[in-house]
Amino acid sequence: MADTHCPYCALQCGITLEGTGAQTSLRGRDFETNGGALCRKGFSAAKLLEHPQRITNPMQRQADGSFAPVDWDTALDLIAHKALEIRAESGADAVAMFGSGSLTNEKAYQLGKFARLALGTSRIDYNGRFCMSSAAAGTNKAFGLDRGLPFPLADLDNAAMILMLGSNVADTMPPFVRHLETVRGRGGLIVVDPRRSATAKLADEGAGWHLQPTPSSDLALLLGLAHVVLTESLADTHYLAERTVGLDSLRSSVASWWPERTAKVTGIPADQIRRTARALAAAAKSAKNGGNPVYILTGRGIEQHANGTDTVTAAINLALLLGLPGTLAGGYGTITGQGNGQGGREHGQKCDQLPGYRKISDPEHRAHVAKVWGVDPEIIPGPGIPAVELLNTLGTKSGARMLMVHGANPVISAPDANQIFAALRRLDFLVVSDFFFSETAAEADLVLPVLQWAEEEGTMTNLEGRILRRRAAMPAPGQAKSELWIFSQLAQRLNAPGTFSPNASEVFDELKLASAGGIADYSGVNWEDVDQGAAIYWPCPEGSEISTKTGERNGTPRLFLDRFAHSDGKAQIIAVYAPNQLPNKQISLVTGRLLEHYQSGAQTRRVDELATAAPEAALEIHPSTALAHQISDGQMVKVSNQRGTSIARAKLSTDMRLDTVFLPFHFPNTGTANLLTDPSVDPFSKMPEFKHAHVSLNPIKGES
Amino acid sequence: MKRPEQIVIIGFGPVAASLIEGLLPSVTAGDCELTVISAEKHLAYNRVLLAELAIGAAELEHLLMVDAARLDAAGVNVLLGAQATGVDRARRRVLVRDHEPVSYDRLVFATGARAMIPSLNGLNFDPHADTALPDGVFALRTVDDAQKLQHSLSIGGRILILGGGILGIEAALAIAASGGKPVLVHHGAAPLGRVVDGDGGALLTRCLKDAGVEVISEVKATGISKDEHGFAALSTSTHGEILGGALLISTGVRARTELAEGCGLAVGRGIKTNQFLCADTEQRIYALGDCAEVDGQAPVGLLAPGWAQASWLAQHLSTPTEVPAPDFSASDVLMLKGQGIEVAAAGDVSAGFWDKPELQATVFADPSAGRYLKVVTRDGVVTGFLSIGLPQTSAELVLAYERGNQLPVDRSTLLRLDDPAALDLSSVVPSDEDQLCRCSGATYGQVTHAVGEGCTTVAQVGDSCRAGTGCGGCKSKIEELLKKAPALA
Repeated sequence: MADTHCPYCALQCGITLEGTGAQTSLRGRDFETNGGALCRKGFSAAKLLEHPQRITNPMQRQADGSFAPVDWDTALDLIAHKALEIRAESGADAVAMFGSGSLTNEKAYQLGKFARLALGTSRIDYNGRFCMSSAAAGTNKAFGLDRGLPFPLADLDNAAMILMLGSNVADTMPPFVRHLETVRGRGGLIVVDPRRSATAKLADEGAGWHLQPTPSSDLALLLGLAHVVLTESLADTHYLAERTVGLDSLRSSVASWWPERTAKVTGIPADQIRRTARALAAAAKSAKNGGNPVYILTGRGIEQHANGTDTVTAAINLALLLGLPGTLAGGYGTITGQGNGQGGREHGQKCDQLPGYRKISDPEHRAHVAKVWGVDPEIIPGPGIPAVELLNTLGTKSGARMLMVHGANPVISAPDANQIFAALRRLDFLVVSDFFFSETAAEADLVLPVLQWAEEEGTMTNLEGRILRRRAAMPAPGQAKSELWIFSQLAQRLNAPGTFSPNASEVFDELKLASAGGIADYSGVNWEDVDQGAAIYWPCPEGSEISTKTGERNGTPRLFLDRFAHSDGKAQIIAVYAPNQLPNKQISLVTGRLLEHYQSGAQTRRVDELATAAPEAALEIHPSTALAHQISDGQMVKVSNQRGTSIARAKLSTDMRLDTVFLPFHFPNTGTANLLTDPSVDPFSKMPEFKHAHVSLNPIKGES
Repeated sequence: MKRPEQIVIIGFGPVAASLIEGLLPSVTAGDCELTVISAEKHLAYNRVLLAELAIGAAELEHLLMVDAARLDAAGVNVLLGAQATGVDRARRRVLVRDHEPVSYDRLVFATGARAMIPSLNGLNFDPHADTALPDGVFALRTVDDAQKLQHSLSIGGRILILGGGILGIEAALAIAASGGKPVLVHHGAAPLGRVVDGDGGALLTRCLKDAGVEVISEVKATGISKDEHGFAALSTSTHGEILGGALLISTGVRARTELAEGCGLAVGRGIKTNQFLCADTEQRIYALGDCAEVDGQAPVGLLAPGWAQASWLAQHLSTPTEVPAPDFSASDVLMLKGQGIEVAAAGDVSAGFWDKPELQATVFADPSAGRYLKVVTRDGVVTGFLSIGLPQTSAELVLAYERGNQLPVDRSTLLRLDDPAALDLSSVVPSDEDQLCRCSGATYGQVTHAVGEGCTTVAQVGDSCRAGTGCGGCKSKIEELLKKAPALA
């Protein structure tokens, strides 16, 4: 029996596993984020452990294009040989790595260290670039620190009001909804989403209200809300004076967003904008007089845009105007997506980052990490390039010739999928570590079988910044091995400086030292305490007292109560401006997730009950829009733009806006929504524009 | 090194502010030096909110559209309270009263518009200068005007608003909201003249009255009469003397063009420019916003087109390479800024049902509920609409109109947007195959079966078929099925 956590999202629901193999049984465990509940994905997660499609040997591509099993020595020798050869010919940056927010903290840490020391490359980035980067950039700018929820999730249980923008937790992390029960009972759940999503429907029947803006107008909406708060003198002036800087610049940036103008851009009636701003302000005021707290939460819907950082900044600015962050009256938080989306962005997988959320360009930060690694700071490469650029330049003059992919499936999850396929096919050598033949693995020269969640030891950091224990409940099938073992083997073959332990707890101890004194400081977190279920939230500097008692919180459960993480202790209000968009008559495509599937679907599409429930991409479209395009319910539709064509079955729904269609991004081949998405990136976070593309719609005659 | 280009902007309204915003990166980078000459002593502010300022619903600091510290840090030279008196195009410099001339490489006219003062006995209107108005008579274009309105409000008594346009209506509503006594006096059959039809206009008039605005229509004003305090009454040839303590003039605006005209630029209903906003042949002088007649289009007096022009011009002035030709589709959407009254209109709604075969008119009227909708389309694309009391419909129509989208074939879809409950199918009796629990996928049939097998609590049902064990949102549905179950014998 093992008490562990679900393999999927950042809620990291508690799970208990019993038995092994086909007899494995899985049930929800009473853990704070899920209270024993699980969603359909979590319930069925054990179905993937003993799965007939599991890769159990290293697989090498043959001359005829097929894959054949090879032994580990052959595989590892080949990787080392290729890496050394390509490095000798084209320099260290010709070998690149691509990591994941699904990897344990130890693997994420070791991935960064392996890239910098064993490969000597600056070319490392990860799929969190597609996930949390805009929220991270926004919170770093505003607060000087990026932790998804700067308060325990359970704090939401008592909320008077929650403004939730661009997050569909009812589908993506259903047990989260349990934490909304009280606020719904108080009529205080406000959901902003261009779809009347399952989460938006949670606001029905007096539980709150739903604002349904036209896609890509979130920033304008937030500026409009801030306008009302400021011009109606509803802002918390005392808080703004005491705890923030930059208010003057904000005034001028929102002055032009009066409600009627905001209505014209967003499609949300002016009175709804006023009502929302006033309700938030009234609730915030009451919260500061001892009432229940008020929260503003954002998700990928407003973050995955080429202006995602500005949009996050606008959401934070609204929270600051209301006087919420860093108080017990509420706050701002972003709802992290991937299982270790939080830990994954702290330990050095990012192209510009070293462990402990340190900067790779800062000489002091480099010196600290170099000391822990036992190397000269000079040999740590400088900043690399972010994900979209890293992938799109592969095989070109300025790009890498060899790529190692861990825990990611970029041909499904990266924008403009046709370009990603082309880029991977330009490579000299592609190594993919996975447990299934994902669509990216299918492009590889060599596929390495790795461990699943229930076969490995390690730690994860959930959406609250709480460090959790992942436990092995059963042995791995066949020759599958941990990435930690792979890195240690390869490091030897590459004569890497420093040590590369294959043991998770040893790597964790090293991670602690590397993070000590950094922003994400884990140095006071002991493996044994985490093992015993202590609730520890980073930062947790060395010497912190830790209690393992249930219900007691350790480290820093609530951030910023005394000061923000900037050197002056203040939160920064940074004025942001909505772009002047010219009207476009084309249909807007938004992308997102379904309840049944997780990310690229490489796992969930292989679970029968999930695949049966949602077997293919469905294009959600308003009946009136469908009629105008002569599309009937269930008919196959070509969704096209200048980047590509995706084919999906029409699903008529009045939950959609007239000007918007929705595609889930989990599906392969012609069902890949990311064939259509825009690789333009945010100037700060380098997040691509996943959430808005213009498309044309054409029904396929005779096919339904 | 190349000498930074000297850019001078005359005028400092919202459009100039937007242009400055767009030029700031170039100023910061040292590619250009920017001087702004403003006759007003305030930084650019949002005129749209002047009525709110007057009634005390907003502070001046909330109206400011630029951050002085930011302009200062970037090195923008701002001359406030400086009157440009002439432009010497030969020497490329702007003459400023009590100030040295300001040299330019490129000059932008953003002089905006001034209130048009009607020809009435007792008012001496000069189209090319700011008319000196008697006490108690003012327009609502500047902070000073807002202070005058505030003063009149503090005295109490009726405040006449002359002009039934959107700005007049908004001022009247703001005055009513603050407890004042506004009287909207206008010459048409209903306020908003050209943009409403008969029935819509009648409903609008009633809505205004309900909001506390007295409306006097079809008035022909002839003059004003004064007493020792200033304004006393509006004289009319139709309604005799209309008494009031103040007169707010809201009869439209006229482009400020005298400076441009004085230096030999062509002037029509505004400073004439080509489609690239250029007003001269040497490509040194530009004009935009309310003072400009761009490519033969008279200024519309709305902010959106001016901002679109500012954003294009900023790009044009700061980018050495050719910028794609601008598209300033002059949106004429009106959305009434007045709380409690929801009116949006655009284009031409005069077409009747049988007037022209190529125009289709759609009308919905429910006057007792304060709702009215008229939409005129050509090939399914909106050419005009008027929407009263239908906020969601209005918001969607605005987007469709500006984008040129086709409307739903079934136009009544637009009405249902304001009542999603009408499409709610939750009252339909679920069948056994229908999903009850989204998280687990458990159906009504499975839960009914579990209840039939003897489950008596939500938790037991969850153990049996997983329903209710995810987000918990379906607990009430399970409880209902449990209640329906016959008691165990």
